[in-house]
Amino acid sequence: MADKRVLVVDDEIHIVHVVAIKLRNNGYEVLSADNGAEAYELALKDKPDIIVTDFQMPIMSGMELIEKLRQNDETKNIPVIMLTARSFAVPQEQQDELRISGCLSKPFSPKELLSHIEDILYQKELVGEESKQKQS
Amino acid sequence: MTITVLCVGAWCMFVGPVVEGHHVSADEGGPVVAVMQHGPIILGGCILMAMVAMLLGWHWLKLARAIASIARFIQSDTTTKDPVHTGFFSSLRIRQINTLCRTISEHFDQCAGRVCDYEKQIKELQLQLQLAHNRGKNVEAIIYSIRDAVIVTDEYDRLLMANEAAGHLFSFDFKESHRKPLDELIGTDCGEFSEFLSHSRKSKGQATRREIEFQEQDELKTYDCIVSCVYDRNQKVTGVVAVMHDITREKQIQQMKTDFVSHVSHELKTPLASITAYSEMLADGEANDECTRREFYSVIQNQAQRLSRLIEDILNTSRIESGLVKVQKEPMSLTLLIEEQMQMIKGFAEEKNVEVTGQKPIVFDQVHVDKDMMSQVIVNLLSNAVKYTPAGGAVRVETTVDESASLARVTVRDTGVGIPADEIDHVFDKFYRVGANKKQAKGTGLGLNLVKQIVEKVHDGKVFVTSQVGVGSTFGFELPLATRQSAGIV
Repeated sequence: MADKRVLVVDDEIHIVHVVAIKLRNNGYEVLSADNGAEAYELALKDKPDIIVTDFQMPIMSGMELIEKLRQNDETKNIPVIMLTARSFAVPQEQQDELRISGCLSKPFSPKELLSHIEDILYQKELVGEESKQKQS
Repeated sequence: MTITVLCVGAWCMFVGPVVEGHHVSADEGGPVVAVMQHGPIILGGCILMAMVAMLLGWHWLKLARAIASIARFIQSDTTTKDPVHTGFFSSLRIRQINTLCRTISEHFDQCAGRVCDYEKQIKELQLQLQLAHNRGKNVEAIIYSIRDAVIVTDEYDRLLMANEAAGHLFSFDFKESHRKPLDELIGTDCGEFSEFLSHSRKSKGQATRREIEFQEQDELKTYDCIVSCVYDRNQKVTGVVAVMHDITREKQIQQMKTDFVSHVSHELKTPLASITAYSEMLADGEANDECTRREFYSVIQNQAQRLSRLIEDILNTSRIESGLVKVQKEPMSLTLLIEEQMQMIKGFAEEKNVEVTGQKPIVFDQVHVDKDMMSQVIVNLLSNAVKYTPAGGAVRVETTVDESASLARVTVRDTGVGIPADEIDHVFDKFYRVGANKKQAKGTGLGLNLVKQIVEKVHDGKVFVTSQVGVGSTFGFELPLATRQSAGIV
């Protein structure tokens, strides 16, 4: 998935770093932020194809970021993958309500994350093509 | 004798004129002759009348006496079986009167017996009433003394009894609300509770339990409500008893524990996530050059150490609380110890652009402490100060000696975000994190609690804090001077 832009958001610099290396090694362009507020600004400005965000962060958490993204027409359709170190998963109702594309528990495998990102972007492309066909 | 007199009288009346034979008219002999001619008749009549009168009188007297005897008998001892015995006229016995008296006597005996029985029953009932009253008072006293709120209602949801705690909870006068509808007493805000009571009563089932929230003054409190039906002898529901136990504090503790587990889990998993991710990258050959590989190794090492420190913090807190920690105290200079730890925190402070300053070592600041533990205390205080101080701020550490009180005092003053007044009393609580500052920096809520445990529980010292939101905080502790302890002076 060359030329696809991923925004990685986590207050843990090492997590951002390792994910960025993995994605770049697989042809992705990577943006990063260490809190939800900064990530939102980047999302508005650079329109990433997908966002990978941590759940718990200072200033603005991952959930608050997603809520804000869904309220804005420019960002409401950006798929989001949540990384969480919480002892319990985000409830499915909440995931459906905020249209969270996937949840990965920490510690996670960078390979598994990459696989999720590729699946979601592939689905997004398919949906995009179908709607184009319908319009034409 | 009576018959004889009657016969003489009758003879005088009827035979006299015949014996005399001749009727001499009054004209011939005058009035004296007339009287002499009718004398026997008159005499007989008088005698007869007198006798009748006497006879009647005698019977009347007898009757009167009998009645008087009966009356005396009724008034006197009714156990006497043969009442008409005494007095001048005791000889004037009338068998029928005696029978009547005996009958009345027996009837009176029966009545007396019944009266005795009734009196006994009355006494028993009074005793039972008194016992029931006392039992009721005891039950009331017990209910009034219960700290939990207790409410008793009847089958029409009217209040029968409530204690002070219930009155305080629902804001009504618990002593003056007997038989009033519960809905009116507790208000519409507590509709859930009323509905719960009513439903429990109608279901007639086992005791039911529910957690209900009530607004008590300015605080929302949670109560564990248990409702049981009250049954009469026929197993008919006559009301309900509701006992409400305040579990607000338990809920808070539970929530704090849940938050702690969530937080600790996050804190533990974060370094573990780095270790896992970097290890996988190394294993998959994603580190393309030696420099990158060394970087990965370093990260793995650092994160492993971080994980280890966190686990150690958690364990230390537990050990100190349970009194299992091994303590090795020795006299040492507090300021020198502080200086050592300041060097450890320097890198972190520089990253955050926070200036950390101390003072030169002072004399007579020797304290009797476990070095590792006290180092932990100082690091925790310094670390907190730097974490919650924005870039450009400052942290100042000072040590003073109060010789009169034989105390050494350390203060760590910062120009950080400060702590709200309503939270300052809790900052040393286990797992507690100031709400407004949670997003400012990460933490487990264990650091300050560990400081408190080490200073107070292990070293017989005291921690303190002052703060102002937006200005900064001053954390500190006092320890007894080593000279005092070495001399064994308490």
